[in-house]
Amino acid sequence: MKEITLGQYYPSGSLIHRLDPRVKLLATLIYIVTLFICPKWQGVFISALWLVTIIRISKVPFLYMARQLKVVIVVLIIASVFNLFLTDGEALVQLGRFSITKEGIWQAFFIAVRLIMLVMGTSLLTFTSTPNELTDGMETGLRFLKKIRVPVHEVAMMMSIALRFIPILVEEADKIMKAQKARGADFETGNIFRKAKNLIPLLVPLFVASFRRADDLALAMDARCYHGGEGRTKLHPLVYTRADKIAYVILFAYLAVIILIRIFL
Amino acid sequence: MIRGEHIRYSYKEYDDEGRVSGSFPALRNVNVRVTPGEFVAILGPNGSGKSTLARHMNALLLPDEGTMYVGGLDTRPAENLLEVRRTAGMVFQNPDNQIVAGIVEEDVAFGPENLGVPTEEIRERVDRSLEAVSMTEFREKSPNRLSGGQKQRVAIAGVLAMKPGCIVMDEPTAMLDPAGRKEILATIRQLHAEGISIILITHHMEEALAADRVIVVSEGRIVMDGTPAEVFTQVDRVKELRLDVPPAAELAHELRLAGAALPERVLTNEAAAEALASAVKASKGSSAESPAAEAPAAANAAAAAGAAETAEAPQPDHKKTLRAEHLTFKYHPDTPMETVALDDVSVEIGEGEFVGIIGHTGSGKSTLIQHLNGLIRPTSGDLLFCGESIYQKGYSLKDLRGQVGLVFQYPEHQLFMETVLEDVCFGPKNLGLSDEEAEARAREALAAVGMAEETFDRSPFDLSGGQKRRAAIAGVLAMQPSFLILDEPTAGLDPAGRDEILHELRRLHDEKGTTIILVSHSMEDMAEYTKRLLVMDHGKLVFDANTREVFSHRAELEAIGLAVPEVTVIAELLRERGVDVPADLLTVPEAKDAVLRAMGMDPAPDGAVMDGKEAGL
Repeated sequence: MKEITLGQYYPSGSLIHRLDPRVKLLATLIYIVTLFICPKWQGVFISALWLVTIIRISKVPFLYMARQLKVVIVVLIIASVFNLFLTDGEALVQLGRFSITKEGIWQAFFIAVRLIMLVMGTSLLTFTSTPNELTDGMETGLRFLKKIRVPVHEVAMMMSIALRFIPILVEEADKIMKAQKARGADFETGNIFRKAKNLIPLLVPLFVASFRRADDLALAMDARCYHGGEGRTKLHPLVYTRADKIAYVILFAYLAVIILIRIFL
Repeated sequence: MIRGEHIRYSYKEYDDEGRVSGSFPALRNVNVRVTPGEFVAILGPNGSGKSTLARHMNALLLPDEGTMYVGGLDTRPAENLLEVRRTAGMVFQNPDNQIVAGIVEEDVAFGPENLGVPTEEIRERVDRSLEAVSMTEFREKSPNRLSGGQKQRVAIAGVLAMKPGCIVMDEPTAMLDPAGRKEILATIRQLHAEGISIILITHHMEEALAADRVIVVSEGRIVMDGTPAEVFTQVDRVKELRLDVPPAAELAHELRLAGAALPERVLTNEAAAEALASAVKASKGSSAESPAAEAPAAANAAAAAGAAETAEAPQPDHKKTLRAEHLTFKYHPDTPMETVALDDVSVEIGEGEFVGIIGHTGSGKSTLIQHLNGLIRPTSGDLLFCGESIYQKGYSLKDLRGQVGLVFQYPEHQLFMETVLEDVCFGPKNLGLSDEEAEARAREALAAVGMAEETFDRSPFDLSGGQKRRAAIAGVLAMQPSFLILDEPTAGLDPAGRDEILHELRRLHDEKGTTIILVSHSMEDMAEYTKRLLVMDHGKLVFDANTREVFSHRAELEAIGLAVPEVTVIAELLRERGVDVPADLLTVPEAKDAVLRAMGMDPAPDGAVMDGKEAGL
């Protein structure tokens, strides 16, 4: 149970891994935007090229990444099927009220490709950055939002505490479950309502435990002089390196190309 | 460094409109002083106000009346807050709940980060603090992968990085195993040697003995204050306060009561052996006719009928048995991460036994007991209950769990119903009993663990720590198992709470014939209560014999990180000094009798003590 980690960091130590998390966060955002603003095949082609290049540089095995697609396969099929049948145009096959059109096939293929690229692109972020780097990146990168009263530091602190405590609570849940089983509790049989009701002996102690831990942690943080984000320094402050700056230039060049394709082709 | 003057503090309860509706005094006029560089241990039963006092030293609580000064600063003004907390760093009980960051070095940096220390200096402080607690090699690890002792060392490093003048520790070792406790004690001693003041709240004697000064708190007042020798030699007084004394001090005290001439301040095993040896020599000199030849034989007889032997349990006609055959359990079998938690363990436990299981953390104890009631399936091997394999098709594990009850560590964490009684009914109802029957059993079980009737309808979450523990144990007991397995049922309780629970288990065993299988880290408890002892190491069962026999293997036990009871150590020291006592003494009463015999005095049951007293008058 201790092995549970959020995300799926793949430590290959590549250039991509060493980039500032802010760069990677912005790159992911831009990548998603480009997938949606440019529904032309040239644009998708360039984006695919971009993705493959980065995957190669990141040294994360391609098949290892492709495994992520399992999770979205249902969505993928549904989206493709809908597009296949519901796109108007030149009918190729007629099935009752529905027809498969030439445009439909093209649409379905297109949507599938873009979905796959979306999933792989975003998971690349978690493959190459640890959860801590991501929280740090978000906190520093979104600092400007503080001006409009978004509690950036607080949200980042909550995320990092959640990351720290999720594995502990998973372990705790496992322990409580065993303890209740030892008292004859049954978590396996019965219909869905029965099962839900049977979860009470697990959920109540788990909530109580979470509150207890939260109380303890708040006390411990107070004792260590925590008083919000004001005036805090960092052990590892995020500092842009040369590589990060170059990465930004390449990133914006990519964005520019996509925009140009959208406007002129 | 720390000076508290006339501190009073009450916990308040508020009603819905925010008015104070109840008030529970926790500190009543406490005066306390800790000088720079001092190592002070604070002892006291649960609920005595020790933690409340500790929290005043860190301005986590502010006194209702009186003043607390930390490093010369009053803790009350808001502008002093950060400086007070920096000066008096605090380490808490639960290792998990005080680590904030997901990486060791970032957690150590948390304090300095909050104080706005420049990055370069934070780095330096993190390096030095991790070095001081010998955790440098783990700096980039996740805290989740560390042992309890290691986590507590990280927490200490986190405090050190704030450059405190003193460290206040609130039962830092309560949730640790003996190895973890040793790590922390070694760390504390080293910090103390470097000149940092230490205030340590603890229930463990060996930690209090390391302190310069011991303060005993009871009902919100400081009731004893002095060197460990001054405090612990007042054996009756300390016991009255629901606390332990070192076995050496207790033995000396008992012997003094029996009329032996012993010095007042006996605290360590060495000192006890020294004092006893000279007392024995002196008494031999005076009474030359002492029947020395008889002594060893008599002593052995006494040992055989010693205090560890409880009354024979009522024997049922058809003995139920629990038999493990070649149990092997592997985590992640057939992968590179494969770890063997149990390695070919075979053992049979019969109805009516009182068995102890010892072994350090990770030795396989917990894995073994979870097999015993079918919570986990072995990778290979078999478990038979009354001769029938529990893994065969159609075997009802639920019935088995009704027969073989398992009480997990910190069982109070599983309480979940609205009232104590309903919670205890959960088990019997799962067995399919009617509401009336379940309730009858629940009441009986609650009475058996010494819960008062008026607590039955209260919420289990409103009970004290010790009561919650009992209610949870009753939850398993109400299923009326013939085998009851308990995983460290006394962890985190104060000494008196521990004794009460163990006494109740013994009564259950003696009166109802319930088989008790007790997992514990306390060799003293094992010596006093169990008859048979299983020793686990690296997933293997290395000893399975009667308790006295197992504890005669001191060297082997110590080699696997375990120990023998303190009294056994004293016996060995006595024998080295030429005193004729059996080597296999386990408990204080046994040792008392043996020493008295060696002195040529008659240890005859109870009467001897009375006679001694009368003679004294």
